[in-house]
Amino acid sequence: MTLPAPEFPFLDVPTLLETSQPVPRWGGWRLAGAGMVGAGVLVWFLISQAIGGDAAEPSFSTLISVVLGTIAGAWVFNGALTSREFRTQQRQIDAIQELIQLHRWPEAAIQVQDFLSRPARTAGARGQAMLFLAMVLARYHRFEEAITVYDHILDELEMDDAADHTVKLGRAMAMLRADNLLDADRAIAELRRDMRTGAGGGELAALALVEIYRDVKTGHPVEALEMFDLRLADLRRYLGHRLGDVWALAARAYDLLQRKPEAQAAFENATVLLPLPELIRRYPEIAALKDKLSPAPAPAEVL
Amino acid sequence: MLPVETAISRFRRDLAVSRFLRVALMGSAVMCLIGGPLLGTHGDEAIPLAAIVAIWVLLSYRSMSAARVAADSPSLIAAGEFELAENHIAAALRTFSLFRSAKLIGMHHLALLRHAQRRWRESTLLCQALLAQRSAPALARSTLLMMTDSMLQMNDLAGAYAALGRLCRQKLNLHEALALQQLQLDYGWRVGAWEQMLSGLGAKLQMSELMPSVNAARSQAYMAVAALKTGRRDLAIWLRRRAELMADSQEITADRPILRELFALAW
Repeated sequence: MTLPAPEFPFLDVPTLLETSQPVPRWGGWRLAGAGMVGAGVLVWFLISQAIGGDAAEPSFSTLISVVLGTIAGAWVFNGALTSREFRTQQRQIDAIQELIQLHRWPEAAIQVQDFLSRPARTAGARGQAMLFLAMVLARYHRFEEAITVYDHILDELEMDDAADHTVKLGRAMAMLRADNLLDADRAIAELRRDMRTGAGGGELAALALVEIYRDVKTGHPVEALEMFDLRLADLRRYLGHRLGDVWALAARAYDLLQRKPEAQAAFENATVLLPLPELIRRYPEIAALKDKLSPAPAPAEVL
Repeated sequence: MLPVETAISRFRRDLAVSRFLRVALMGSAVMCLIGGPLLGTHGDEAIPLAAIVAIWVLLSYRSMSAARVAADSPSLIAAGEFELAENHIAAALRTFSLFRSAKLIGMHHLALLRHAQRRWRESTLLCQALLAQRSAPALARSTLLMMTDSMLQMNDLAGAYAALGRLCRQKLNLHEALALQQLQLDYGWRVGAWEQMLSGLGAKLQMSELMPSVNAARSQAYMAVAALKTGRRDLAIWLRRRAELMADSQEITADRPILRELFALAW
């Protein structure tokens, strides 16, 4: 007899948002236990005094020291256990982040599911894990669910300006990929409006990438190329190999304008930096270039 | 500017004094607890015990103040505010701390500052003084990475080789592994280990793709030089092109004369 396959909802967003809610824990039971031990010692001393008189040993101050020492020891022990729990959770978060950076998506998905299946110790750790969940969902093309997670982070958690900007950028990109163009446009306008005075080049570069993608997707290649020219220095400095994304989108914009030589040059730059299948996975619009333009030849050693 | 030799001798002296004080305070507390009943003082030990606790609390508070003063230094160094960072670090190192960690972190920040100021010899000396002490593994690894870079900049290849060997025996996180690859490539061209620089090329390229732009460009430029030296011209051209797309050649070749040769070549 074969058992039916278990129903295993993988990365079920509503469940994970529910199960990961931090539950207030009262770590005071350890202190209470120590207090009871201390009280017991004190009672024993008072009884022995009542029976044996003042000559009974040990002295009162020694007993007070023992009681206070017991409570202080329990306090330190409680603090050590709590900080160990925090460190364990932080190590889990760091591990998920590394897996995402290494593009090891299946392992990242399993770890993020595992992390969010239990109450988080802090709202901060939960927020980070939810951000990673949204990234993993986007990687698996579950954009609507990714948007739900981003919205939840923005509605429920308090973040600094830089973190808020990162989350909003991710949400805008997910909206574009989900073809929610109106919402995406509104989200990008909000990002532009909220752009802090003195915002770093990294933030400007990431926003420029989203704007270029929006313009390519909505058939505004001139605007896309204007943004590309304006922000190329920041894009080079801050995007690392993701610069390949920008060159690929520029190639598509040139292609829409029927400027084949520039499109070919931009496409070669893109494919020097990133493999074509990965570019198409990230931006399906690039697939239109596959048969029109030639990717940069890669040397035999890296094929 | 805080002289490095003075900082190191003060650091060692402070660690010794704080260790002595910790042992003395704890020993005195234990003596009060067990000595009272043994000598039959009937409560007279409570006053010295309270005084010991008060001294401990006071010194702990001062230690925390020192740690707070030093906490801003890395962000100031990153922002190029070297003078302000120097003042914070000097204040932190001058303040007495009962605990080792505050002193270790203060010294690490000073080494970081000297490294950012490109004072390689001083940075190396500070790192060596730090590594001679027992510290948290993450702090020790970060110090070792910084010392290796400083040694490479001074062309102390024997020292850098020994430090790289120590790093390779440790379990590194991703960020540290990326820094190690960069250092290994920097060491490789200095000793002409061209084949070793290209061994495991696929993995090295994947690691480079995770680095920030300038580091990614410089890593691939090192590999391009190695490809050129071993007669793999197509690979060299491809790697140089990747590097050029991500950063300006002046930025990539700063302090690395061999990379200037690569970008001077006309293909």
